[in-house]
Amino acid sequence: MEDGLSTPVGTRRSFFVKTTVFISSLIGISLAVPLIGYVIAPAFQRRNKDWVSLGKTDLLPVNEPRSLDYTMTEKDGWQESQTTKGVWAVKRPDGQVTVFSPICPHLGCGYRWDQQDRLFKCPCHGSIYDLEGTVKAGPAPRPLDTLPSKIENGELLVQYEEFKSGLAKKVEL
Amino acid sequence: MASRLYQWIDHRLKLKPLEQTLLNEPIPGGASWNYVFGSATLFLFGLQALTGMFLMIYYVPATDHAYDTVQYIQQEVWGGWFVRGLHHWGASAVMVAIGLHMLQVFFDGAYKRPRELMWVVGVLLLAIMLGFGFTGYLLPWDQNAYWATQVGINMVGSVPFIGDFLVKLLRGGETLGALTISRFFAIHVAFLPAIIVFGIMLHLFILRRVGPAGPHDEARAKSGSETFYPRQVFMDAVVMLVVFGIVSLLAYSVEFPLADRADPSDHTFIPVPEWYFLFFYQLLKYAPGQLGPLATWLLPTLFFIGLLLLPFVDRNPERHPSSRPIVLGTGLGFLVVVFGLLSISLRDLYAVPKRDPSVVRGIALVQQLNCQTCHRIHGEGANLAPDLSFVANRRPDRNWHLQHFKDPQSVSPGSFMPKFPLNDQQLNDLTNYMLTLKSG
Repeated sequence: MEDGLSTPVGTRRSFFVKTTVFISSLIGISLAVPLIGYVIAPAFQRRNKDWVSLGKTDLLPVNEPRSLDYTMTEKDGWQESQTTKGVWAVKRPDGQVTVFSPICPHLGCGYRWDQQDRLFKCPCHGSIYDLEGTVKAGPAPRPLDTLPSKIENGELLVQYEEFKSGLAKKVEL
Repeated sequence: MASRLYQWIDHRLKLKPLEQTLLNEPIPGGASWNYVFGSATLFLFGLQALTGMFLMIYYVPATDHAYDTVQYIQQEVWGGWFVRGLHHWGASAVMVAIGLHMLQVFFDGAYKRPRELMWVVGVLLLAIMLGFGFTGYLLPWDQNAYWATQVGINMVGSVPFIGDFLVKLLRGGETLGALTISRFFAIHVAFLPAIIVFGIMLHLFILRRVGPAGPHDEARAKSGSETFYPRQVFMDAVVMLVVFGIVSLLAYSVEFPLADRADPSDHTFIPVPEWYFLFFYQLLKYAPGQLGPLATWLLPTLFFIGLLLLPFVDRNPERHPSSRPIVLGTGLGFLVVVFGLLSISLRDLYAVPKRDPSVVRGIALVQQLNCQTCHRIHGEGANLAPDLSFVANRRPDRNWHLQHFKDPQSVSPGSFMPKFPLNDQQLNDLTNYMLTLKSG
């Protein structure tokens, strides 16, 4: 008696081999699809944006920037946290309000309002903007980023967004 | 392309002899569907390892986050419910596969000399698998996890002399909490996997050194052999596909929802162990007071000692079932007890108290007609109209209810209850339900 005496040969053998390969691929693919989706899904998720009220516009003085607290409930995966950002709001003489992202479009520092010079100044690399957000000096590649805002029943509603820094164009993150 | 790459690697690493050793192992008596259970177990173990690793991507093993993260996996992550379902049902399936694998080896007498060591390592692998089940059960940190683990740990506490110490060791202190979940997690995903991988390798190493047992029938065993590849590999693959299909189908179609978040102060919760521990759970109900502790630790210990010693006690070289009446009789007796206990336990668990179908329809009508926008029943619903929780105590009269549903104002002047267009059967169903709402 020799080992492997009744081992299948020829077409019978290739049937077993091919079926085995087919089954392995089937199981592999059926597992790979849900598992890969499971891992990469968060990469496609967009930040959810809510309109948040920052208070009555009556209280804002005309042409005087005010830092307003924007408090949002942020879903960070399975965690929910409340974060507060200070956004800059400028009320125009016509009653409209421009809301600026608090992040300098140059490299992402927080800029300040200089009351004496009546300019926004970034302490990091010296970018300077006027009340309209236009670049007056420094390395900033674009004006200050405005945030979507609207006024409903006298209340200022804002959506918080973040943009890529360092680009001439405003590109949302 | 693939074969050229393989040739390139083979040229350097000399893989051919290894491939021959792995695939051309002779199987006495030829390939058989009887030999698929070990491969099925190995496949399911691989599935558990894979899905487990993926679950870890989102899971956090801490008392204040574990539940949220499992719920996040279950409800929000794309495909998360499926991956968790695969892991849950895979755990059950691996127990079934191990059970069948052991039964095949037992009835075929394949544990006998010279394969005693393979059996011993296999029994240790079973113990490790149960350890996986026990430590994994706590991780979702829901009520079931918390209370079932309490019970499990307390059973360990019944071991004489060192019981208290073992309990503290398992909990990581006095209470089941933050330290417990950390160590259960570490055991589940690091220590046990490391040990079991070594154990599986040893199991397979012994298999290859000793060779497969082949059929218990001498004549068939001598009739010839064939190599492991391709027919046995094909059979293993077919079974893996079937097993994978069943587990996927269960994961897809049978939801395994989380219970409420673990609440150590809620002593009303009745935990139920996984089904593979149910027979033991049922057995404990029959162990009277003083014998209780013996049942909780002595029986399982004896069971494992018995399994480990089996090949050394049963030294009869005869493998044919008909020549081993005592051993097989004992095995069958054990199976009858286990399945008897399991079925009693399942019957008790799923025994739904029988309800009058008319009352069931009445309950459905209350939902359908939104009665609870005004009425409260056992804490559910608004408090605008009378609370109906115990309405039958106040209004035991059937006719009053019938009349009241037809025309509320006729028996209850000034009531703002609207007239609902109900047919006779609906009137009856609602009334029957109302009459069940009483205290005591």
